[in-house]
This record gives sequence, structure tokens and C-alpha cells, in this order.
Amino acid sequence: MKSLLAFTKKEITSQLRSVRLIILGILFVLLGVMNTAIAKLTPLLLDAVSDTISQSGISITPVTVSALDSWMQFFKNIPLGLIVFILLESDIFTREYRSGTLIPPLTKGLARHNVVISKAVVLTTLWTLCYWLCFVITYCCNAYFWDNSVAQNLMFSVVCWWLFGLWVTVSAVFFSTVAKSNIIVLAGVGCSILALYLLSFIPELKAYLPIMLTDGNSLISGIEKAKTYNSAIIITGVLTIAYLAVSFPVFNKRNL
Amino acid sequence: MLHITNLHKSFGDKDVLRGLNLSVPEHSIYGFIGKNGSGKTTTMKTVLGLLKSDAGEIKVNGESVCYGQTATNRYIGYLPDVPEFYPFMTAPEYLTFCGEVTGMRKSDIAKRSEELLTLVGLADEKHRIRGFSRGMKQRLGIAQALFNRPKLLICDEPTSALDPIGRKEILDILLAIRDETTVLFSTHILSDVERICTDVAFLTGGVVRVCGKLSDIKSKYRSEGYILEAENVEDMLKLLQAFPDIKQIGGNQLVFRENGVTVFDVLHFLTDKHIRLLKLERIEPTLESLFMEVTEE
Repeated sequence: MKSLLAFTKKEITSQLRSVRLIILGILFVLLGVMNTAIAKLTPLLLDAVSDTISQSGISITPVTVSALDSWMQFFKNIPLGLIVFILLESDIFTREYRSGTLIPPLTKGLARHNVVISKAVVLTTLWTLCYWLCFVITYCCNAYFWDNSVAQNLMFSVVCWWLFGLWVTVSAVFFSTVAKSNIIVLAGVGCSILALYLLSFIPELKAYLPIMLTDGNSLISGIEKAKTYNSAIIITGVLTIAYLAVSFPVFNKRNL
Repeated sequence: MLHITNLHKSFGDKDVLRGLNLSVPEHSIYGFIGKNGSGKTTTMKTVLGLLKSDAGEIKVNGESVCYGQTATNRYIGYLPDVPEFYPFMTAPEYLTFCGEVTGMRKSDIAKRSEELLTLVGLADEKHRIRGFSRGMKQRLGIAQALFNRPKLLICDEPTSALDPIGRKEILDILLAIRDETTVLFSTHILSDVERICTDVAFLTGGVVRVCGKLSDIKSKYRSEGYILEAENVEDMLKLLQAFPDIKQIGGNQLVFRENGVTVFDVLHFLTDKHIRLLKLERIEPTLESLFMEVTEE
């Protein structure tokens, strides 16, 4: 247990002293602000260009925006946050393989499963913090300008997207135990998501795939009911645990 | 302290270790000598459970080594050939991390860190490891390897990339810790071996060809070779005709080993023929000549 805590402390220090954390912090704060800002600025932008457009015969009716528009922006923008998060953190294992920094602690008796646990905990915690930071900022900005209650199933839809991000993060951990370089980790994660995306074109399958959880707009606008997402939630949870469970024996057998 | 029996390891179709046997006695400084790519690092990484052996048995302090979850590593300190540490830490922070990983108490960690940083000359170093030179990393590497007072210290070519001063510093540290721990030290720098090692093993072709006490090995090979120098070409040719095993090595100088012809045969011949010599000298075997001989077999 002591060695697990020591290695986790090392992982946290590594994050705190790296430029990655600053980039992620700035990005998720910006995304949080931008969701509201884009919604708020849309009528002003349309108003500014309406004269030009009306000269060409197209008339623009006044647009009324609400918190719903801002939350729609949230679900449009958060994939960018996840992509940058994975790009920056995909070498959390492979940079240690490359430099050989894992060798001294492992030869001092640090159990290999503690490496996987520490890195998975730090990575998923970091994703959670970044994601909810973005959410809280958007929520507060929206509350200042509008009424958040217009968005239906808001918390549920946001938790669904967080769970999808959690699955992607854990899949990065799994691919890191297999791969030698972060390019292969990124390729593994990318191919998994692409495969899910392609499978989601089959209507019978869509409700069971993790990618379903990213469709927050249908939830907040009331097009879909929360219970439609239950199967996808269970399957994503099972896949997340399965990826993590398989990571341990794979990492144990890895030549270092 | 360390016993390796019939160790085999291959990478793809390349057999790196082909039945390696090695026994490292307690409190020795054991020189593990071999050319680049001869399998020294593979052997060491297998002892540490970082690589899986194809066959064979390894025992450290009487316990078998298991690949993956390697409990025997609690007896071992390891200094890799190119030691790399977390660049965002300072040397004291890194040693504290090592102590915490091994489960030591806070007070012991602080005391041991101070002792070791003084031993390796990094006590006043406040910068992060990112700015360390190769020699400083090597010294920190020794400090971390010795942190939990290991019974066996494994050093993989610790002096290969260092300048003469850096090499001397590392060798002095290894000599200083000899009473506390057994050292297995891989290298291809033979002067380092002659300076500090008590025992040696020559690794070539995936097996240990020669091993034992350095003094025994040197004395075993001591009386085998002679150089003689004749006064003129005629005398030299007479010797070459009489003894086919004698070889010319330049000028009127000849060399022979006592496996085909003895020095007494040569002396009898010189006396019978009234041949005068400028020089007759026994070749003092160097580790280098022994290394060349072993690796060329």
C-alpha cells in the first residue's frame, strides 16, 4: 500500500510540474466560457450581418437564445477537450518505457499492478476534474444569463458524456500496457472510437454502444428519454472495467 | 549470493544466452565481462525479473527469481547502463520516492538520503534531475541502487560513458561499499575490472567461458607465453625451422606459448647451437589478452 501511495504521489507531482496540466486547465476553462459566450453572441453576430444578408433577399428573424443553446454548444465542444486530453496524456506509460524510468522503482519491489492502478487513477481523476471544471463554468455562466432548468435531463446527459470520456481514458490505459509508443496508443483509441462510430450506423446496435452516451443534445432537448441510454451505460461500464482488468495481466507479462 | 544455472534466452531467432552458468560469491566485486551485444544486459534484466527467461534457474540469496512480480528484488539494487530518473524531481526527492516505494519509515528515509547523497557527492545539489550530467545521473543511480541496503548490487556498465574522472569516482564508490554488499558489475572496460574486481566471468557466445577469482585466472595464464629476440636473422631462422610453433612478431622477435613447445626445449636448443639472445621474456598476461583469447575461441 505504501508503494502504491508513493507511486501515485509521484504521478500527481509529475502532472503538477508539467506544462500539460496548464494547457488542459486553460483549454477546459476556455471551453466552459465559450459554450455560453457562443450562445450569447449568436444573436449579436446575426444582427450585425443581417443588413448585408437582407440586401441579398434573405430575411433573418430575431433569434432568442437560452441555456439550451449553451448546453448544445457544450456537447459540441467537449469532444475537442477529450481529444486534446488524450493527445497530451497518451504517453503516460510510453514515456516511461522509452526513458527507462520505471526500471528503478520496479527493481525496488514496486508491484507492477500498482503502476497500472496509479496511472489509471491519476488519469481518470484528471479527466473528471477537467470535465467537471468545464461543466461548472458553463453552468454558472448560464445561470447568470438564463435559466438552466430549460435543459431536460441535464445532469443525466452530462454524466453520460463523462462516462464516455472515462471509457476512452481507460482504453488509453489499456492500449498503453500493450503498445510501445504513444502513436500506437492513439491509433488504438482512435480505431476503437471509429469502429463504434461505424457500428452506430446500424440502428439496432446504436442503443448499446458507448458512443450513444455522446448524444447529449437529444436528451436535453427532450428528443430521447433517459431510459434509452440505460443499455449503453451498462455496456460502457462493463467495457471500462474489462479494459482495466485486462490491463493488469498484460502489463505483468510485458518485457521492460 | 547469486546462482544462475543453464540460463537460455532468445529474441526471435537470435539466441542471446545459451546455457549460461554463473555463481557470484558473497562480498565479492564480480566483473561480468563481454563484448557489446554478448548478453550482459539480458542476463542482468533476467535476474531482475524484467525479462522472461526461456529456460534455466536463477536464485538470489537462495530464493528463485520469478518473472513479473519479482520478490527477490528486495535483495537487489540495480544501476542501469543509462540510468534515467524522473526529470521533474530533485535528487533528495527522488531518493525519498525510492524509500517510500520500498516502504521505509520517514525518519530512516531522511537519514539514508543524507548518507547516500554525501557518499555520491550530490549533497549540495539543489537542481532538478533534468539538468544533471551523465556522471551526476550515474552517481544518483548508485545512491538509489544502494538505498535499501541491498545484499546484491547489479551495475550494468556503470563507467562506459564517463570521462576518466567520472569513472574513477564511480569505481571509488563501488570499492567503498564492498564490505556492505556484493557487487555484480558488467563492463567491457578491462582496466576497471583489474582495478576493483575480486572475481571475473567472461561471457561470449551466450555462455560463460572462463570464471573465477581474478588472481587465480591471472596466475593460471601467467606462465604460458614467452617473447625472445635473436641477435641476427640467421639465428632467428634456425629457431623458426626447429620449432614450428614459434611465430615471428616483427624484426628478430619471436613469440611462443608453452602448449606445443616448452621454454626448456628452447633453452636446450639455444645451448646446443650456441645461439645468443638479446632478450627472453615471460609474457605477463593482461586481462585484455585473456579477453581476446576467450572471445576469439
